[in-house]
Amino acid sequence: MSLQQIWEWSYSSKTVDILRNAKYAIPLIQSFHLFGLTLVLGTTVIFNLRLLGLGVRKISVPVISSQLWRLAVGGLLVSITTGILVFIPDPARYAANTAFRTKLVILLAAILFHFTVFRKVVRAETPPAPRRAVMIAAVSLTLWFCVGWAGRAIAFLG
Amino acid sequence: MPFLSWCHWLQNTPFATGIRQSDLLFPLIEGSHIMALALSVGLILVFDLRLLRLAFAAEPVSRIMEQFVPLSLPGFAAMFITGLLLFIAQAEKVYQNTFFRFKLALLVLAGLNALFYQVKFYPKMAEWDKSGVVPRGARISGALSLIIWACVIALGRTMAYEL
Repeated sequence: MSLQQIWEWSYSSKTVDILRNAKYAIPLIQSFHLFGLTLVLGTTVIFNLRLLGLGVRKISVPVISSQLWRLAVGGLLVSITTGILVFIPDPARYAANTAFRTKLVILLAAILFHFTVFRKVVRAETPPAPRRAVMIAAVSLTLWFCVGWAGRAIAFLG
Repeated sequence: MPFLSWCHWLQNTPFATGIRQSDLLFPLIEGSHIMALALSVGLILVFDLRLLRLAFAAEPVSRIMEQFVPLSLPGFAAMFITGLLLFIAQAEKVYQNTFFRFKLALLVLAGLNALFYQVKFYPKMAEWDKSGVVPRGARISGALSLIIWACVIALGRTMAYEL
């Protein structure tokens, strides 16, 4: 499906019309988008504080990941789903928005990193060497917080 | 109304005008207010989930509380400071916003709920924690906390939509 087709479908669909015109549909969907953000960013912060030895020291990294990994995945799914619902009613606006395009690229990188390198480290029985932990935390936190910042910037770039 | 005229004065101080009219400062403060969700609500919800046995069920409640709750305090401080700045910048409109008023009421409720836990369940935590059974009231308090914070986030998002 090309962007043009999405655009045409979006403006002819009655269902999408409801999303677009119901007064509080978009802020309600965006509220769920933020619930997802809270789960993804929140668990990411917890994992990284633990990897860096700055917090939650009495619980091991694999125990934390066995308990919180599914929260991160659940949060991500909620945010992606609600993100699509916000995009659909106004595809032309978002596709032209530099912050939105940037966000998608960083999001892709963040997901890739999270489900490869990061997943492996938080599941390993032996903790990473301190220098490696710092590097992983720096990449992880930078990527996810930039996704958030870029998302916030969408509204300010029109 | 005297409070409204005070809000009018407040948002017209050079400090408030400076924030409101800045192309960089306002989005930066607003963005920080949202990102601080991860450091505040994101941490407190782990404790709520433990009370409900939905996470870390094998760990004592006392350990989860001591490991996660203090970490959330800098996050809540960041929330409060950035929230206050956002209020100052648009005091008149924000004060008149119905969603904002509900949000404030729920924040008070969240505080009372936490206080209720501290007074009623924290003093005897060592006892019930050993038994492995979280008292009903403490579980309700955990569930309430999750619901209240979710509503606070939704009201925060919606109030901004109306400004």
